[in-house]
Amino acid sequence: MADVLPPADAGSIDLVTLGATRTEGGTRSVSYRIGGWDTLPFLAAPPAGVRSPLVALEICDDPRIWPQVVMRELGDLSGDTAAWAREAEKRFSADLVRLVLTSTRDRAFSDFPAIGRTVEAVLSATGLPLIIEGSSEAERDREVFQKCGEAGAGERLLLGTAEADRYRSVAAAALAYGHSVIAQSPIDINLAKQLNILLREIGVPHDRIVIDPYTGALGYGFEYSYSVMERIRDSALKGDRDLAMPMISQAPDSLTVKEVREAPPEWQRDIAIRWEFGFALSAAVAGADIVSVRHPESVRLLKTAFRSLSPVTPGGGGAGGA
Amino acid sequence: MALKALDIYKMLPKKNCKECGYPTCLTFAMKLAAGKADADTCPYLDDATKQILRGATRPPIQLVKLGVGERSVPVGDEIVLFRHEKTFYHPPGILFSVSDLWEKERIVAAAERVMAEVFPRVGENLRFNGVAIRNESRNPEAFGKAVAAVEEVAEFPEVLISDSAEALASGLSFCGNYRPVIHAATLDNHEAVAPLAKRFGCPLVVRARDLGDLARLAKACTDLRVRDLILDPAPATLGEFLIRSTAIRKRAIDRSEPELGHPVYLDATACVPEEAAIVTGILKYAGVIVTSVLPPGTARMVLTLRQNIYTDPQKPIQMTPGLYRVGEPGPDSPVLATVNFSLTYFTLLGYLEASRIPCHLLIVDTEGFSVLTAVAAGKLSEKLIKESMERFQVAGQVKHRILIIPGYAAPLSGRIEEVTGWKVLVGPRDAADIGEFLEKEWVAKNQPAP
Repeated sequence: MADVLPPADAGSIDLVTLGATRTEGGTRSVSYRIGGWDTLPFLAAPPAGVRSPLVALEICDDPRIWPQVVMRELGDLSGDTAAWAREAEKRFSADLVRLVLTSTRDRAFSDFPAIGRTVEAVLSATGLPLIIEGSSEAERDREVFQKCGEAGAGERLLLGTAEADRYRSVAAAALAYGHSVIAQSPIDINLAKQLNILLREIGVPHDRIVIDPYTGALGYGFEYSYSVMERIRDSALKGDRDLAMPMISQAPDSLTVKEVREAPPEWQRDIAIRWEFGFALSAAVAGADIVSVRHPESVRLLKTAFRSLSPVTPGGGGAGGA
Repeated sequence: MALKALDIYKMLPKKNCKECGYPTCLTFAMKLAAGKADADTCPYLDDATKQILRGATRPPIQLVKLGVGERSVPVGDEIVLFRHEKTFYHPPGILFSVSDLWEKERIVAAAERVMAEVFPRVGENLRFNGVAIRNESRNPEAFGKAVAAVEEVAEFPEVLISDSAEALASGLSFCGNYRPVIHAATLDNHEAVAPLAKRFGCPLVVRARDLGDLARLAKACTDLRVRDLILDPAPATLGEFLIRSTAIRKRAIDRSEPELGHPVYLDATACVPEEAAIVTGILKYAGVIVTSVLPPGTARMVLTLRQNIYTDPQKPIQMTPGLYRVGEPGPDSPVLATVNFSLTYFTLLGYLEASRIPCHLLIVDTEGFSVLTAVAAGKLSEKLIKESMERFQVAGQVKHRILIIPGYAAPLSGRIEEVTGWKVLVGPRDAADIGEFLEKEWVAKNQPAP
């Protein structure tokens, strides 16, 4: 009576491995396999060996543009990228650390060697697998991603982001040093597919791509992102191989939307966390295998929510007593 | 089993009399097939045919109205599993729950908040929909008092929660005429509870852990002539809710189990964390969500999410074209042009407000297309910019003649300069960079050197 699985001839999501332990050639204390699903999220137990969805906590190397509400929470920690990464694991219990190289967004940025040192410092501060968000300008990408890729060689990083008009540098770094790539497209299933094909054509295999369909914050276009994620997952389950990659979702504006900025001080923290939690949980329900957040409290709430959403019995359903 | 329009047409009188309100019998048949018309409006059908048509053409999920009057909430009547397949029509009613163990003041305070609290957002007034009263005292008289306390302030839907028919009857004596939802008829008590729903004409929640039992219970209550039913699959965890709610929606829509064609009920307070349950309920098919009295952060978040998810995905939300003032702009303030896709507008507006640089924002009518698609599709052109500038009298607002356009509209910059005679500055592609752009390209260049 409670069978909600798709028909047997349907497709499934590719497996992508993030992080490498010592036996796998890296130094991480854990590695994850994401993807593998042949159902919509939370309708069945995860495939064997898969942990999903995962929660990434974002940290950065230049906190000047980081949301105030997070800076207040972190206190001195935000000035020390390595310590921030360590606490992401130890105190905040994130599954992944996402290092955003905000230093590269500064117009005057030129210290490329510092990128390599930052990545190395973060890798030694935490045993968690790492996502690295590099520069956002084509002119800087080559050197930035090269430095990231090299510093994390063998660690199976997830490097971001490749976009339709600037994907070669990040793809080259991923291919040279054994990493995976975040493929970001602007809330459009066809553009997502097109970028995956472009990446495939320059040699990035399917199992090294994670789709980022771009996520608008709640109240700021989130509904478009939600439906694009559902469409991508639905198409993949119906057999479209070029969309059958795991997905990652982040809505970086969540903590700076008007609702948070203009909230009364005593409620600002609460509203900020809920705004982030709301998009991230919804994204996971729509099919995101990784959700990426900035507030430590969002991590805790999301992990509780995911536990609560996990099916009690594998493929479980309507039968059984209370 | 669903019938096709032509099958239905064969059963109709083919008189084209228009008495049903449709021009032809074929149109009527098509409306019936889509679940958008009622067989009863045809005066020439015999009862047996009506019976067949009602079964085959009623909406896959029944429409149930919670409460009466201005604040009544229609739920159900949905036709798809994913909003991108068409749209979701009726947002779930979200009701705060109170207990009959609480002091009267506390109950009244919760009810007053539901009455008064409004969050205006993108042209809509977002609010919570009602109050659910729990019979935690196990005492019918206390329950009646709690219901009466809510009734003093309430003009909104209520849910009466008790497994005791006696307590429910006590509550109904205060609010029975206002179509409160009765929760719940179970396998054990439905013979006592269903007649109450029938007597007062109230929607009735039926509750069972097994979907087969739930369908049988729904059938039993329908047979007792209770018209409006809501299904509570009694999940022990949030994961169970998601699985059962999805299964119910699928079976209702493909009509494989018509007895499950009713809205779904979710008690979010039974799940941890509660806000996860509310979010999941909004996304995955709940028609009625009972919550605790929510703190401000969760309250705003869930109402915003509900508005997002129940927005018609086939209609790009559009802003009214015009010249908008951000802050208190003067004759020396910058003029920025962008498209009327609401996501573009709100994102840009957010960053402009954060920059604290007052400006004039010209929104041109690209039919809701974003900058990128509007440029590609030719919706955004120099001609449209020129016409919009004239129509909204931009030149009269400022002393300078400089227009800032979105980064993705850069290919149009030369042509805009030609047709308008204004100097064009190409802004950033990403709205997030607009503050820095204005600082460098406008504020710094327009201030006298120190």
